[in-house]
Amino acid sequence: MATGGRRARHRPMPLLWFVPVLALLGLVTIYPAAFVVWMSFQKTNYFQLQGFVGLSNYVDVLGSDSFWSVATISLVYLAGSLVLSLAVGVAVALLFNAIGTTGGVLRVLTLFPWTLSMAVVGSIWLWMLNPSFGPVAYFLGEAGLSPGLMLGDPDLALALTILVTAWWSFPYVMVMVTATIQSIPAELYEAIAIDGGNAWHRFRYVTLPHLVPTLGSTGLNLAIIYLTLVTLLIVLTGGGPLDATTTLSLEIFRGTVQSVDIGPSAVLSVVVLAINIVLGAIYTRLTGRVTG
Amino acid sequence: MSSSMSARPLAGLAQRGLGLLVAAVVLGPIAWGLATSLKTEVMAVALPPTIIPSPLTFENYLGVLAYQGFLLELWNSTLYAVGAVLVALLVGIPAGYAASRFDFPAKKLVMMVILATSMVPGVAVLVPTYYVLDAFGLLNDRFVIVVLLAARVAPQTVWFLQNFIDAVPIEIEESAALDGANRLQILTRLVLPLIKPGIAAIAVIGIVTIWNDYITVAVFAPDIGKRTLQVALVNQVFDAVGISWSYMMAFAIMASLPVMILFGLVQKWFVAGLTAGAVKG
Repeated sequence: MATGGRRARHRPMPLLWFVPVLALLGLVTIYPAAFVVWMSFQKTNYFQLQGFVGLSNYVDVLGSDSFWSVATISLVYLAGSLVLSLAVGVAVALLFNAIGTTGGVLRVLTLFPWTLSMAVVGSIWLWMLNPSFGPVAYFLGEAGLSPGLMLGDPDLALALTILVTAWWSFPYVMVMVTATIQSIPAELYEAIAIDGGNAWHRFRYVTLPHLVPTLGSTGLNLAIIYLTLVTLLIVLTGGGPLDATTTLSLEIFRGTVQSVDIGPSAVLSVVVLAINIVLGAIYTRLTGRVTG
Repeated sequence: MSSSMSARPLAGLAQRGLGLLVAAVVLGPIAWGLATSLKTEVMAVALPPTIIPSPLTFENYLGVLAYQGFLLELWNSTLYAVGAVLVALLVGIPAGYAASRFDFPAKKLVMMVILATSMVPGVAVLVPTYYVLDAFGLLNDRFVIVVLLAARVAPQTVWFLQNFIDAVPIEIEESAALDGANRLQILTRLVLPLIKPGIAAIAVIGIVTIWNDYITVAVFAPDIGKRTLQVALVNQVFDAVGISWSYMMAFAIMASLPVMILFGLVQKWFVAGLTAGAVKG
């Protein structure tokens, strides 16, 4: 929506206005992103670069079984969290929207988990899911179910991690969906009513078509968050048990803080970076953010 | 949907009940954490668990306050969050203004570059950033942390500002220009005051984002004197030997308190910031 500086009496020199932000982003984001690509082609010894080795790091990493198992876990974690938070987010948004003022109050309250840090979310749920003293294990036990080790159970840990992630992030979906629903012109619903449509018709032919773009962009945004999320996993499981919840990003984090051979970490970084840029490019398309 | 309420009051009542139930389930874990923080250590792990703490104790909160690192960590969290948002606004305002008001050949490219940087996740540049900061002896530097965090919120700051400035009628600026005001005066005295709510929304979202960061500070400022409340909280989880859950819940709540208050005061702006530019009207 550029309207142009047609009558700029003082020549605006437009690019100059972008210099500060470009300097900041160039230094902190663009340069390291380029550098990590360079690193991924280097033979490394801890944090020392020892010369160009072409694709050798890629061959090592992509040829290992552990990479594919970590990639699979990342995918399951991402898809599971996404499906759950989108479904619950839409359902709760519709429910709250249907109950007027009460819904508005409940919406504000329900948004609250989204404002909490992943460290706080993680510690609250670590306590909720504590197998010895936590309330979830206790009430499951009372109901005659054996809760077992919960987050310490390799078969359960990933599913529980997905549940916690959805608990924390579905409010974001709810807010985006609500904003979309409330922007739908009332005439469209009136038209359906005139045609004798029922609640299902209203949802199917008016609400849903309006929601699809929002769900696409919100889902992509969440996918990016889930793909690169580390803190919640560190707190909940530390990637365990038996690496059952180790994702690509957690592996990068470990590689960095443990200062092990960083060549492979650089390769993982490039993989995550590439996936992110693809997701981000689609997101940009969907939201039409670049104009002018 | 809403019209069915008057037609079928029972259905409306059921929806209300279901809504309350959903909110209770969502807020349950937070309430449980709060209850735990008000219990003694012994009571917190008692079975069956007590839902309402009795007797109520504030010993955990006093313990958090008495712990010598708390105030420094609170200060670090505040400094990083406020500092980074200020830096992001400082560099973002001219860019957002120019993006909205000027037309020039390279604009699309520049905006693409800014947007592209928001697709570079912090975790993907951990290794190279650590490498560079280590090489230049810049680890554990508060100023460096502020700059790193500012870059994380700068792209969205520019985009949101552009949206907000787009909504300001250009005619206002034109008449000021006729009165002899220059661009900078127009921006600072006219445009910025008009988009105050927008700037508030950007600031709130930015502060919450940065306040909640763990990775950046944990990796690049591991020094105990430079860490934030979030880093201290995660470290408590790591020191899980002999962990006191009631103390940890009190710490988690204290570490979230500024964000809770901010959210309570300005939840409208928070929502405005979340949805800005993301939902097409």
